[in-house]
Amino acid sequence: MIAAGGNGRSPGARTLLSVEGLVRHFGGVRAVDGASFTIEEGTISALIGPNGSGKTTTVNLIAGALRPQAGRVAFDGVDIAGRLPHQVAGHRLIRTFQISREFAAMTVLENLMVSPLHQSGERLWNVLFRPGRYRAEERAHLEQALAVLDEFGLYAKRDDYAGNLSGGQKRLLELARAVMAEPRLLLLDEPMAGINPALTDRVAEHVLRLRDAGVTFLLVEHNLEIVERICDHVVVLALGSTLATGTMAELRQDEAVVRAYLTGGGA
Amino acid sequence: MSVVLGYVATLGVYFCIYNIFAFGLNIQFGYAGILDFTVITFMAIGGYIAGVAVLPPEQRGTEIFYVLGWNLPWPIALLLGMVAAGLLGFLIGLVALRRLRSDYLAIVTLASGTIVYDVINNYNKLFDGAAGLVGVPQPYTSVFGVNPNTYTWYFLAVSAVIMLVCWYVANRIYSSPLGRTMRAIREDMDVAEAFGKDAFRVRMLAMVIGCMFVGLGGVLTIAYVSALSPAGWTTGETFVIWAALIVGGKANNWGAVVGSFLVAVLFNEATRFLPAIPGSPNLVSDIRNMCIGGMVIVTLWFRPQGVVPERKARFPQLPVRGATTPVSVAVGATGGAGSAG
Ligand SMILES: Nc1ncnc2c1ncn2[C@@H]1O[C@H](COP(=O)(O)OP(=O)(O)OP(=O)(O)O)[C@@H](O)[C@H]1O
Ligand SMILES: [Mg+2]
Repeated sequence: MIAAGGNGRSPGARTLLSVEGLVRHFGGVRAVDGASFTIEEGTISALIGPNGSGKTTTVNLIAGALRPQAGRVAFDGVDIAGRLPHQVAGHRLIRTFQISREFAAMTVLENLMVSPLHQSGERLWNVLFRPGRYRAEERAHLEQALAVLDEFGLYAKRDDYAGNLSGGQKRLLELARAVMAEPRLLLLDEPMAGINPALTDRVAEHVLRLRDAGVTFLLVEHNLEIVERICDHVVVLALGSTLATGTMAELRQDEAVVRAYLTGGGA
Repeated sequence: MSVVLGYVATLGVYFCIYNIFAFGLNIQFGYAGILDFTVITFMAIGGYIAGVAVLPPEQRGTEIFYVLGWNLPWPIALLLGMVAAGLLGFLIGLVALRRLRSDYLAIVTLASGTIVYDVINNYNKLFDGAAGLVGVPQPYTSVFGVNPNTYTWYFLAVSAVIMLVCWYVANRIYSSPLGRTMRAIREDMDVAEAFGKDAFRVRMLAMVIGCMFVGLGGVLTIAYVSALSPAGWTTGETFVIWAALIVGGKANNWGAVVGSFLVAVLFNEATRFLPAIPGSPNLVSDIRNMCIGGMVIVTLWFRPQGVVPERKARFPQLPVRGATTPVSVAVGATGGAGSAG
């Protein structure tokens, strides 16, 4: 079912995201300390590294949830370092969270309906005086949301409160919700954490399918088998800086990478 | 008989006013999750500003001081009162909504309200300090007649119309994408921001709209009772509005209506008309406050979502597009197949 990674994507395609010398310390903890890497458009890249190596912090820095103390983040040529999360998202750079964070007291369908960016029905003037302006848009979003729910196998759950979903369903919702925002780059922080192997495969299939539809991915993942299977490119973080980059096969030969993983420390 | 009717009509007026308060707080707290612990301050500002806009200029030689005194007609005063309340909400929001989480936000609103209260209470050049405004002319007595009982019915009709407009606006917002985004921010602000929602802007909108509602209720209050003084809007009054919303059910305007009726009208206002017990003049009001507090505790214990809980969002039933349809994802700047038409 699952296609091999790196299927014929030419390396050296257009760079979509480039991170240079990113730094973020928390007091004495050098969570991210000079990480640098680039992501090509239309690829699936993995961000791997031992626990505490700064993966989530890197995602937060790119997505604007944290301000970098130094460094550059360029998305499609635009410097987005230090922008606010909603501004970053406005560039169609969408992130998910390591722990599922659904809008619990809203239905599954509503969770998806929140996602589309720049909805004209979010403007008070339109709400009060020009509801016709967003009715058609709302209906288009609804159709799209139902189609996405169907693809993710959540259609039957559409009217359930998101807080009542199972852990695995919440992971799927997290991804479905991100898809609804029509992202160009998706930052997924451990989308397969804590779900069973069958569901892991399904999530992997979704990622591949979306990649083929044109979405670029940066995937934080501990499961190296999955990384090998679906990722075109791998970035290894250790102690907050880039230890190595390359394909999984190349990295397996890299002694520093093997050591970082085996010892949980850096080179 | 006419006394009883007048009494019922008076309760009706309070019912309408408390509904408007509760809708306003609902937009802030029920929709957007803003802990506004100084609701009553905005009622007071709305009332005071409308009052001084309607009153004639202050008379030299009297010991009564107040600002403005513009002799304006009521509809304009009403707008001014709403705008003033919204403006104060905006200023407090600038401090409270920046990056503050719910508990700090609650403290900031409470502190701001206390500051406003102390300034108005102690500085008598604004709204005559602790004495407050008195003798604010009731609206259109010449048109509706000066008989207090029939006048109350006219006033009730006007209040009801205004209340229904508020009801309509509040529900319109709730069911719009804006209301949905407010609720998403209430559920998880970080996630909403990760989906491009400017939480500060949206929460500020909820704050200001809510304050304008409450301010409008304040305008109606001073128009009806023709007076307003600091003793009438202590922090405890904020609690009554909160109690109404919690008992009735937050994030549902029917809950706000039920709560206003039970808490604000039945327990808070109706009991004011009970005769005081000789020897213990505060007994009735103390019992009233205990009853309201008890109702809140019972609600939170047995039915935390309130008498009328938030309803599930309903969407029109649409057929799902065939499973063969590829997912619509925008690529590049061209926009996707699924984006709005
Ligand atoms: N807000 C914070 N305050 C202080 N220290 C932090 C904060 N966030 C992260 N850290 C520290 O920074 C380091 C990197 O954390 P981060 O969450 O980025 O690691 P990670 O690679 O995502 O780990 P995991 O694989 O366990 O998810 C850790 O030592 C962590 O304790
Ligand atoms: Mg992490």
